[in-house]
Amino acid sequence: MHPLDLAIIIGYLALITFVGIKLGSKVKNAHDFFLAGRSLTWWVIGLSIIGTNIDTNSYVGASGNAYNVGIAQANFEWIGAIPAMIIASLIFIPLYWRAGVYSIPEYLGLRYNQGVRVVAALIASIFAVFALGVAMWALALTLETYLGWPIWVGILVSGTVVGLYSIAGGLAAVAITDSIQVSIMFLCGIIIVGIGISDAGGFSAFATTLTQDNPTHLQAYLPADDEGFPWPGVILGLGFVLSPAYWIGSQAILQRTLGARTQWDASASMMFAALAKTFIPLLVVFPGILALVMKADIDYPDMALPWVIKNVLPPGISGLMFVAIIAALQSSIDSGVNSTSLMITRDIRHVLMKNHDTANDLKVGRYLTLVLLLSSMCIAPFIGDLGGIFTFLQTILSLFQGPMLALLLLGAMTQRATPMAGLWTLVSGVLVSALLLIVLEWNLLYVAFVSFCYSMVALWTVSGFTEKLSAEKLATLTYRPWSRT
Amino acid sequence: MIDLPVAWANYISMGIFIFLGCLVWIVPKKAILAGQSETDRWRDLRIWAMVLIGLQLTIYWIFS
Repeated sequence: MHPLDLAIIIGYLALITFVGIKLGSKVKNAHDFFLAGRSLTWWVIGLSIIGTNIDTNSYVGASGNAYNVGIAQANFEWIGAIPAMIIASLIFIPLYWRAGVYSIPEYLGLRYNQGVRVVAALIASIFAVFALGVAMWALALTLETYLGWPIWVGILVSGTVVGLYSIAGGLAAVAITDSIQVSIMFLCGIIIVGIGISDAGGFSAFATTLTQDNPTHLQAYLPADDEGFPWPGVILGLGFVLSPAYWIGSQAILQRTLGARTQWDASASMMFAALAKTFIPLLVVFPGILALVMKADIDYPDMALPWVIKNVLPPGISGLMFVAIIAALQSSIDSGVNSTSLMITRDIRHVLMKNHDTANDLKVGRYLTLVLLLSSMCIAPFIGDLGGIFTFLQTILSLFQGPMLALLLLGAMTQRATPMAGLWTLVSGVLVSALLLIVLEWNLLYVAFVSFCYSMVALWTVSGFTEKLSAEKLATLTYRPWSRT
Repeated sequence: MIDLPVAWANYISMGIFIFLGCLVWIVPKKAILAGQSETDRWRDLRIWAMVLIGLQLTIYWIFS
């Protein structure tokens, strides 16, 4: 590695740690730790949302997929994100923010019952522990690939840096470091596009070279009979269910919007994130296509991005790009530990221990952040052996997406949904998903869509026979902009 | 379903964005600016949504 690259990497790690620890002095209570004292502005939150959203899979995996399928990979950033982000910005985020909740499970607890709250928090937390382990392992692997550090050194250094700023500074430190990290990512993305197009002889030459051997690589969708991403499945499953379930229901994503200083900042942050999201393919899809155009000599598609960094970028810039990958991983880890710590502290501990005293929340939250980081560091070296468990947990999580979206949608948009119907729909909806996915072996995208449709019908029907919340409670927990003065 | 042409996917995507663009204007401005003392035009998030939708329509038109 060039000394300039190494200097940039060390400088970045020092800057992030310094900023995070400095913000730690402002944390006085759990409200500061988990919601940044409701002080965040729209552009910081917007960049932080993108930082949380982009992980190692986005960078290395998406570039590899783009090498194989072309621009169709970008659907995850476009039809698979933008409509849901606009709806989240205008409808759901204002509702959550006005309700004054710390988390989405807490909103579900108020709108339905504490059983729904605990189930939602528990599933998300268990999955998060393994997801953190995977992210930590990926970060250590990246450090091993580029710097030659042994895996255990990479885990130790990454865990220490993330731990220092996220335990000290809470959500404020996480959001502000995320925004620095995303700015670096975009800077690198723009440089790669500029150099890549220039080396290929301009955009027209780039497109011509690409489509000569790969005629479908500039088409937004794959055929309906494609095994992985058939276009009807992408639109129905990803666009209508999985994407909205993520953008209006993910605690890691939405927590920073709950820490906005005003309702407008909360809404504007998601709209700004959607603007940034539109250009994410430049960062995560373009390198894969560039490797194809430049006829990269690689053994498998996931090597596309490392090849571009090594062969296209000059010294200094390649160090910065490497920083961008570390940043992508760190921003997912820091958001994961902070949001999981919040859900365990409040949504699980408060309800199961029947103790709603918030006096110890800051101390418990910080301990849990440390425990979660240490757990992920311990799991990381064995993640290869635990791969089967992680895949199983991913499958379990996907079973909840359709029913959970139905609960959020009807719960927020109508006054009809009742607490008992919510719990019944969640349980039966997961069973329907399991039947379709495990017994009938349907494609996950179609399972998501059908289980969502089932849950909407079940929630609507059962609500007709069960007791509603009081009108006073419903007034603050449902979206009724036309009835407010 | 296997015989559905790929071009339909782009038309459906563009249709979804146009439909969303119409729905956005149902949200009252007062709900978007609730609690805000500054009510400049640029703060109207429906206009932000229109910019986003315009970008998406362009993208799906180019890559069809």
